[in-house]
Amino acid sequence: MNIVVTVLLAAGLFFFLVGIIGIIRFPDFYSRMHPAGMLDTMGLLLSMLAIAVYILFDHFSYLSVFSSLKILLIVIFVYITSPIASHAIMDAGVRAGLQPWTREDLTKEET
Amino acid sequence: MKKLGLLTVVVCGVLLLLKTAEFADWGDPNSPASRHLSPYFLENSIKDSAVPNVVTAVLADYRGFDTMFETTVILAAGLACFFILRVRKTEKPKSTYYRHVPTATTLRIIEGAVLPEQSKVFKRIDSVWVPFDLILATTCKAIIPFIQIFALYVIAHGHHSPGGGFQGGVVLGASIILMAISRNLGAAIAHLKEKTTVLMAMIGVFIYAGTGAFAALAGKNFLDYSTLATVLGVDEIMARSHGILIVETGVAIAVMAVMVWIYYNLSSAGKQDEGL
Repeated sequence: MNIVVTVLLAAGLFFFLVGIIGIIRFPDFYSRMHPAGMLDTMGLLLSMLAIAVYILFDHFSYLSVFSSLKILLIVIFVYITSPIASHAIMDAGVRAGLQPWTREDLTKEET
Repeated sequence: MKKLGLLTVVVCGVLLLLKTAEFADWGDPNSPASRHLSPYFLENSIKDSAVPNVVTAVLADYRGFDTMFETTVILAAGLACFFILRVRKTEKPKSTYYRHVPTATTLRIIEGAVLPEQSKVFKRIDSVWVPFDLILATTCKAIIPFIQIFALYVIAHGHHSPGGGFQGGVVLGASIILMAISRNLGAAIAHLKEKTTVLMAMIGVFIYAGTGAFAALAGKNFLDYSTLATVLGVDEIMARSHGILIVETGVAIAVMAVMVWIYYNLSSAGKQDEGL
């Protein structure tokens, strides 16, 4: 069972790592929102699943079932709220008149 | 006057910094706190008050005076924002804005014209920031009840896990502020009027201080919850546990009301007609 937990946790941390690299490396506001949203979906789902499995089989009883369900509730609520937050931040960027990054910006930076 | 204030702050700061050198090292096992206080709390909190969470027992029972005045400080912060920011009378705006919801058009209604009734078809909107986002409004509407239920859970579960009045109150207040952000300030004020928030802040502090005063009137020390035993019909140890829950409820009400009250005043610069 420890192997399953470790694999899930490692996969979750991998998504977190990739997302963080993406936030730093992507060129502008709009494209940075994409890895930021990915952190909350795959990274959180896998790491929370790891914790839920660990709690469920550590001392198996009806209490640990409830604890695991509560942890899965965190995933459900973040799945509802995180896309909405991304949407609202993106919307605010469009309304504030921020232009998306294009290939021309790259050539401008080089010259 | 400003220079005098700066001088006072600097002198007080230097004195405080000088005194920190005499503190015991952090985590020093021979400091008075680790030798006498912490072991006593860890060993006796279950025996004294039947509360498994030592932090809650210390916060609301052993040093209840401190927490009572913390609640009062929060009330004072709300009052300070009120007295500095609140404007008694505001001139009416030149024009008001309404949204015709079915067609998503914005109407600007000049002074003197007939205002449409506030209904599901015509909605008053702010003049500075008028986006309408169906996705945002619907999700916030769906999520706010869950936030509030979770806040009640945090308040009531302070005996067994991290949580308690302050944290639960902040979560409750944040749910109202989320409503104000996702719709507009008017929608939040329609649900929770400013007068109600003031009254709730006062009631919260009164519940805490009143519990203490009840103990004093019943012939024991101020804030000694064991006097509640006869009223609640339980033994003295359980009475302490219930007393902690009562004061935590008072703290939660006060914190929640003051959070919302400060937000109303800050977001609208004291006018409370339209804001963020």
